[in-house]
Amino acid sequence: MSNASLAPRTGVDTPALKLTNVSKSFGSTHAVKNVSLEVPRHEVVGLIGENGAGKSTLLKILTGLYQPDSGIIETDGRPVKFRKPQDAVAAGIGVVHQEQSLLSNLSVAENIAMNALSSKDAATRYGFYRWKQLNQEAAAILARVGSTIDPRTKVSDLSFVDRQMVEIARALRVDEAIHAAPLVILDEPTSVLERNEAAILEREIRALRDIGSVLFVSHRLDEVLRICDRVVVMRHGEVVADVRRGEVTEEELFRLMIGQESRARVRKGGSATGAVAAVEAKGLGRKGHFQDVSFAVSPGRSLAIVGAMGSGRESVCRALFGTEPFDSGTLEVAGSTVQGWSMRRAVRQGLAYIPSERKVEGMVGGLSAAENLTLVHPREAARGPILRRKARLKAAEEWFERLDVRPRDPKLPLGRFSGGNQQKVVMAKWLRAEELSVLILDHPLRGLDPGASQTVNDQIRAAQEDGAAVILLPDTLEEALEMADEILVMRDGEITARFDLAVESPTSLDLLEKMV
Amino acid sequence: MTDKDTGTGLLEQAPAPSQPPLRAGRRFEFKNLGEVLALVGLIAVFTALNPATFLTPENLRTILDHASLPLIIGVGATLVILTGSIDLSVEGVMGAAGMTFVLMTANSRGSADLGPWAIVAALAVGVGLGMLSGLVHTRLKVPSFIVTLGVWFVGLGIATVLFGDQSIPFLPDGGIKAWPSTLTFGVPNAFLLAAAFVLAGMFVARFTRLGRFAYAIGDSEEISKGNGIPVLRYKLYVFVVAGFCSAAAGVLAALELGAGSATVGVGTLFLTIAAVVIGGTSLGGGKGGILRTAVGVLMLTALNNGLILSGVSPNIQSAVSGTVLIAAVLVATWPHRSRLRIVK
Amino acid sequence: MSKKALLEQPATVPAAADGKARPARRAPQNLWFTVGPFAVFLALFALVAVLRPAFLTGGGMAILAVQAATILLVALGQAMVLHVGSIDLSNAAIVIFAAIVLAQTLGPIGPAAPVVTLAVVTLIGAVNGFLVAFGQIPSFALTLGTLGILQAASLVISNATTVYATANGQLLAPLFGTAFAGLPLAFWVGVLMAVGLWAFLRFTRAGEGMTAVGLNETGALFSGLRTRWFKVMAFALSGLLAGVAGILVIAQAGAASSFGLGSDLLLPGIAAAIVGGTAITGGITNPVNIVFGALTVALVPIGAAAVGVTPQAQSLVYGLVIIAAVALTMGRGHTEVVK
Repeated sequence: MSNASLAPRTGVDTPALKLTNVSKSFGSTHAVKNVSLEVPRHEVVGLIGENGAGKSTLLKILTGLYQPDSGIIETDGRPVKFRKPQDAVAAGIGVVHQEQSLLSNLSVAENIAMNALSSKDAATRYGFYRWKQLNQEAAAILARVGSTIDPRTKVSDLSFVDRQMVEIARALRVDEAIHAAPLVILDEPTSVLERNEAAILEREIRALRDIGSVLFVSHRLDEVLRICDRVVVMRHGEVVADVRRGEVTEEELFRLMIGQESRARVRKGGSATGAVAAVEAKGLGRKGHFQDVSFAVSPGRSLAIVGAMGSGRESVCRALFGTEPFDSGTLEVAGSTVQGWSMRRAVRQGLAYIPSERKVEGMVGGLSAAENLTLVHPREAARGPILRRKARLKAAEEWFERLDVRPRDPKLPLGRFSGGNQQKVVMAKWLRAEELSVLILDHPLRGLDPGASQTVNDQIRAAQEDGAAVILLPDTLEEALEMADEILVMRDGEITARFDLAVESPTSLDLLEKMV
Repeated sequence: MTDKDTGTGLLEQAPAPSQPPLRAGRRFEFKNLGEVLALVGLIAVFTALNPATFLTPENLRTILDHASLPLIIGVGATLVILTGSIDLSVEGVMGAAGMTFVLMTANSRGSADLGPWAIVAALAVGVGLGMLSGLVHTRLKVPSFIVTLGVWFVGLGIATVLFGDQSIPFLPDGGIKAWPSTLTFGVPNAFLLAAAFVLAGMFVARFTRLGRFAYAIGDSEEISKGNGIPVLRYKLYVFVVAGFCSAAAGVLAALELGAGSATVGVGTLFLTIAAVVIGGTSLGGGKGGILRTAVGVLMLTALNNGLILSGVSPNIQSAVSGTVLIAAVLVATWPHRSRLRIVK
Repeated sequence: MSKKALLEQPATVPAAADGKARPARRAPQNLWFTVGPFAVFLALFALVAVLRPAFLTGGGMAILAVQAATILLVALGQAMVLHVGSIDLSNAAIVIFAAIVLAQTLGPIGPAAPVVTLAVVTLIGAVNGFLVAFGQIPSFALTLGTLGILQAASLVISNATTVYATANGQLLAPLFGTAFAGLPLAFWVGVLMAVGLWAFLRFTRAGEGMTAVGLNETGALFSGLRTRWFKVMAFALSGLLAGVAGILVIAQAGAASSFGLGSDLLLPGIAAAIVGGTAITGGITNPVNIVFGALTVALVPIGAAAVGVTPQAQSLVYGLVIIAAVALTMGRGHTEVVK
């Protein structure tokens, strides 16, 4: 690798990327507030922060998806404005996104060249492919990042690490025509990798330093500290720290990210009411998703499962509700082992599931709120196969009153209500069941305003008091500490810690340490 | 580093990392030879059942002759299905193009004689109808099955209107009418034309932006868009190519029939879609290929031919195609079955 | 929402992601859905009445109703399948199949023949639905396959000729022999079915379940509904209604053949369903409006002739009507992928 040919056009000390007082707000929310940071040449800069800290918004600004309200962005010492993603590409910023953006049925070479293919390129002049040239170019770029993948391989035949390498190679390819020293942004590239795979990728990322600079976004702090030369910490849309590696410990980074930490109160009551658990998992596992998950939730108790992306907790919940299969262990509902478990059986046994994808999975937006409300358990809304529309409307109005759903018109299609009011109706749909035994909530507060969150939490507590077992996947650690009687921590498909809040009072830091 | 599957089924030695690969050596589309083996098996079974009649040069010519139309249409149909859409308009386009051709060339009505321009006009009709399907589908976002269903009948209507209420226009004996069944190198011209279409289609699928983008779009429209592919434009092109192929098939069918008929394409839609699916091209898009469709067409044609030779009524031909279609889709989708999969 | 969030989930933009009242899902279709089909029919009817006054005086309405009757039944069946988000390309073939079966059984078993016929075709429809729902075969591919099988079956049992209903024809005679309000009984049978289906969709749990499946199958699934059986039910209804249409064919013509009366009902059926306000995306259907859809579609050739279009253009007009009706009435999001 010769650095001479890749020498920057301007002075060596000009940073590859420099942000000065960049701000972006949505309505009254300041997603990014006065952010200034630098990514110097031949350095790997880590960017960390909780969800909602503004990382994603900042990345979208850097890739031209959002335009900042104010502030200056400079690449190579020149101010730039990104009006569309192509502008960012033209300025030499390549991105490896969180989710895969490769076309899996095409070859590695095609994917690497794809952005250029759709415009003008020597290898595809007049719409005809020159495979030889295409493969040679791809091999050369792959060699730059130290990868030995055959460019003729189909992407679907590659391992996950290799795909990430292809993505990085593609990000470089985009730049090289225009830019000598590219900046590659990696958005949580290791979050779905096995630990040993992540190690390989780490090595490759460090190697990227030789040819350009890297902005590395991750939630694995140990990894950030190993890979990065500098770490930028964001909180509440602002940069709260910009430190060199070696100046900071993992523990200190945690504190910087979280601000002050919160601690759970020890529950006073919190005792199990029934002798038989409402739901009990014994060594539950699904290959590739989660393994050896065991827990029991008694009626009237609540369990929160926390974990980072890839922890497998969503899959566990879906397995409980019969949405996804499990291939090892047993599941017991009300004391008896289930056989041939399905969503329909789960509903009959009094299980309820509130999915995080509310609009797609949680409701039928085109049906009226009243219709949605009685979809699962019609009760007074039907006599046998016949619907009783008036009785239903009356019942719906009562629920609207109880949960303060606005507008107070259950005849409107549910899709026209705001998110918070939709979620209230989705909750009510399940709470109407007399035999409700287990309430599973997957991120029930996602996207809700404080008022609606309060109502939803009140309903969860009420259901619990009525004897339902609650299993909660919270949005925030505070939510877990506030709502749960017991907290499970999962990482990479396994349970790494259990806290019984009747006897312990863990802090959010305690939980976080077991998550990442 | 070990050998890698390059998507061709042919194991190739992965090149040493320091040496970039120089050979783009995958012209062959099969991941496995299952379909070819099935075809060979089919031929073996029917040869055993009809030793005197099935594997004769005359009968083989008949099979190749019958395979010509679906082969030509299969090229366009495969491209459309690769993008994840569907083209049901085949029979209508064939009718319209075939009728256009007959009425513009020397015929018993004496309506016009434009010579070779008749073929150009017929192909233009096909391209126009393909463009109509493509535009309505991509610009007005109407699902392809409903647009092409409409265009199917638009095509039939055009053919019927052109036909009018006069006598049937026959092509004169001799001359171009004899061309499809004339033998060149012992093979009917119709099949040679079809083979040319298949080869051209394979070239398009492998070596042009149109073909590669069709695969990309079928894999994921979202990601394709994110990669800068003008998805809508290329979907339109694919429908135009399909219209062109159907029109060419319509002209060929009219020549073989020797007369103008709106229903010249009856039965080809099943046969083609069944052949595409049984060849291994997924209705979901992104997977498959034109050579696979060609093998599928030969399988179905041999099957129909063999059944008839074995004394089965020709009336059940459409049932054979229909059953094969259902069975092929069922087998192809079975491994992907999941309670959460939404199939419309 | 608490500012402190876990690390993993993708940041949503509060407020922006969840605005107060988003545009109504049904809004652009609302007007069309309620009065559109009737208005279209009225306009076309007025046009014909002005251009061809003889149509009104010469019993044109009764002829129209005769032609609309079979279209209506096929369209109602198609609408039920469209309602759960699928399509049935085989239902016109079922009409012919039913007619041939009926023609052959009417002599031997008399009054039982229509019952047997309906049972057979309902079962065929149910098998279609079963394969779509449990085999997860895309409905257009599956029903294209069954279309081929049914065509062959019709050819085989009819020996590829016309089959005449030799005896007991009087059983079916009242369908076109008697009239209410100047329109034949057969048409009123269709209207009755339409009203019945309307009530089914509106007042029963199964009907509502089918609506939920059509609007959002995933959402219905997560509510523990028997989504697969609702699909089977829709296809079975399509088979049943096609069977009734087959009975009308025999009542009208006394004979059936693979290429005879009723063999070209597929497109008019779909057109009538769509002109009647049925959304091809599923979940939005008003069976009563399909009555007007069917009348409109039956009136199209007459109207086309009135404005000077040749009768040969009938399928051309139908094809264009379908494309135009779907293009005009489809609710479309900007982000979704249309295949």
